[in-house]
Amino acid sequence: MRSLALLTFATALACASLVAQDLPETNPFHGDSAAVLAGMGQFRQRCADCHGMDARGVRAPDLTQVWSSGRTDRGLFNTVRNGVSNTEMPAFTAPRTSDRDVWQILAYLRTLASPAPTDLPTGDVGNGALVFENNCSGCHRVNAKGGLLGPELSRIGSGRSREVLLSRIRTGIDEPRPGFQPVTITPESGPPIRGVKKNEDLFSVQIMDTRERIQGYRKDQVRSVVDIRRSMMPIFGPERLSDSDLTDLVRYLGTLRGFDPSVEQRPPVVF
Amino acid sequence: MFFQEVTTVRLETLAAVFGVMLASDVASAQENTPLAPVSAQEILAGLPSDGSRWLTFGGDYANQRHSPLTQITPQNVGQLVPRWTFQTGTLGNFETTSLLRDNVLYVTGPLNVAWAIDARTGRQIWRYRRELPTNLTACCGLVNRGFGIWGDKLFMATLDAHLIALDARTGSVVWDAELEEHSIGYASTIAPIVVNGKVITGVAGGEYGIRGFIDAYDAETGQRVWRFYTIPAPGEPGSATWAGDSWKTGGASVWVTGAYDPESNLLFYGIGNPGPDYFGEMREGDNLYSNSIVALDADTGRLRWHYQFTPHDVHDWDATEVPILADLPIDGQTRGVVMFANRNGFYYTLDRETGRLIVAKPFVETTWAKEIGPDGRPVLLPGNTPSEEGTVTCPDLTGGTNFWPPAFDPSTRTFFVNAREVCMTYYSWEPEYTPGDRFTGGAGQRVVDPDNPAYGALRALDPTTGERKWEFRYLSPSTAGLLTTASGLIFSGDPDGNLLALDSRSGQLLWHYQMGATLHGTSPITYMVDGKQHVLVPAGTTLTAWSLP
Repeated sequence: MRSLALLTFATALACASLVAQDLPETNPFHGDSAAVLAGMGQFRQRCADCHGMDARGVRAPDLTQVWSSGRTDRGLFNTVRNGVSNTEMPAFTAPRTSDRDVWQILAYLRTLASPAPTDLPTGDVGNGALVFENNCSGCHRVNAKGGLLGPELSRIGSGRSREVLLSRIRTGIDEPRPGFQPVTITPESGPPIRGVKKNEDLFSVQIMDTRERIQGYRKDQVRSVVDIRRSMMPIFGPERLSDSDLTDLVRYLGTLRGFDPSVEQRPPVVF
Repeated sequence: MFFQEVTTVRLETLAAVFGVMLASDVASAQENTPLAPVSAQEILAGLPSDGSRWLTFGGDYANQRHSPLTQITPQNVGQLVPRWTFQTGTLGNFETTSLLRDNVLYVTGPLNVAWAIDARTGRQIWRYRRELPTNLTACCGLVNRGFGIWGDKLFMATLDAHLIALDARTGSVVWDAELEEHSIGYASTIAPIVVNGKVITGVAGGEYGIRGFIDAYDAETGQRVWRFYTIPAPGEPGSATWAGDSWKTGGASVWVTGAYDPESNLLFYGIGNPGPDYFGEMREGDNLYSNSIVALDADTGRLRWHYQFTPHDVHDWDATEVPILADLPIDGQTRGVVMFANRNGFYYTLDRETGRLIVAKPFVETTWAKEIGPDGRPVLLPGNTPSEEGTVTCPDLTGGTNFWPPAFDPSTRTFFVNAREVCMTYYSWEPEYTPGDRFTGGAGQRVVDPDNPAYGALRALDPTTGERKWEFRYLSPSTAGLLTTASGLIFSGDPDGNLLALDSRSGQLLWHYQMGATLHGTSPITYMVDGKQHVLVPAGTTLTAWSLP
């Protein structure tokens, strides 16, 4: 009896590993323009009503930043296939939804997160890293190195297209993303405190100030809280950053696909 | 004190020894008499001045959510302290209105878990959990909006489209009636109300091509007494408002509790959107009784009148908001009315007997209709039909307001509503109907305009004119329900997790507390326990009871 149970267990394991082997780790349709088009149709018919036409979320979560937040192709495939239990995200099961259908939807979504490049990448990665260190790392962190006031960029290569990166560096950012809205708090006494807003409600505001201190303030205990519309991200015109340095920088950013432990860490900050 | 205790013990000992019954024993024997079952009279009486009951979704059948209690006042509300907090221990959030009787709370939660809770301490007395199938087709949250109660039974609608009765003392199932087959799109999240021994409920599924209905079940047996289909079949009055076979998959769900007028024995229910939501070409016509309020005879389910807020809706503006009944002076005459703040952005006052329009006025920005004409129909503005390229319309699909309960203070004749100022780009295309699949024919995306950011506000309206008396603005739209009290308070919640108490006459903020989760779609209730007024607040996965120290 025991051996039978063991055998069953072994068979189940074999089946499970077979299934896992069958399912590719990365999307076999990634960048395939016909698949992207088919995926767009599927997405609109079956997903957009909850996730929004732009996949930025209406009744259900934003799907455009899932890769940059660390989700993998295979993990997302399983979420679509199995649903999310105890929520209204249904399981899209076979045979009505084929593996191909799911991959095509993901291929389309991936283009919203990071459109496939239209031309071959150019530029010098090594110089790009140097340009980054000299111009950007005061505010942006890559692989645990750099400042904290701007968004972490260790995955930026899978989250933003080359065109978007180019335009943001050259022309700046009109609308800072949540968590990075510049704000000035004027206390009852002492100089104004500048920083970026992490959270806010009617009665309080939570910020990271320019010294990278995180702190909350009660609105009734300060003189004023003033939002600054434009992002703190400076504009790097050609006079500050040459075309060739910009090309190298964007090439470097494109290689950032997640935290890379092989990169040397700087020693931990001691408070 | 010590002496008295000793004396009592001695007397009790004596009584036990000699078989003498003491006065205190008589009193406790009376307390232990089983409580009389919940009666029609008790529910009809609404919220009593002694604060001992909250027996139906809206506090009373009129859904006013206005408590006569006055212990907590604008002057002392700042002293509120928490008495206890109850954690659900489940995924998903409360959207429920709790019921209270005899110091026990009856509470439904997400995923069809429910509890009886000691109102003195927050301790669980029993817990019910329904095993749910994996192929649920609930559109927008696996939630529940509350119990109905009658006799010694509680009634709960389930996510797999059943109506069940539980024994209020144990939480065990007494009967279980299937409303419809859940796998083809039917679900139920509504709080039932019980009228003269009939449990009134409805079905969700307007995004899945269902054919909606309102049902009445015998509270004792679970036998269906009547069914009102919210979409007439061919040959029935109103059926010509649906082209071809579109009536079969036309939606018109019922997922928010209606009102009941004992005088006329009429039920008033708001009906959901027609399907497919955004692609109207598949269902030419007005699509009755989608986006309407219907007045039904409570004994038979027969339609007395209807009023359609949004004929041939293409923006998913379900009329599933909570109707409130009241008597108002209109043109020098007292008239029975239904008050209704609609998802389409207009506030309405209707005659309760006839359904005729008395007042219609936008309470948020509306770009789809110029006004509601004297014939009761909206005067449409061009360029608001969803399209493949996208069409911008205000309000968005969530609407000017939605299912979160409004409140009405009869002493000042003020209607309170949490309103949203949000616009949307609506897209549409021709969908295919597959049973059990979503059938919406489009999608939306919210308009983000830094110069004109979306926001929300608590608004106080004069229901005789639709004019605004005051507003209290939030940073973004709130989805909290409301509660008013005779002492001049209104309780609300903001979109960032703050519980708020305001002066209901002026809109001035008096007190706030960060709950850590919003009061999404749910209102606080208030009642008395041991001489203290309590305010019970569902937020996220917690219930917290507040009182003065």
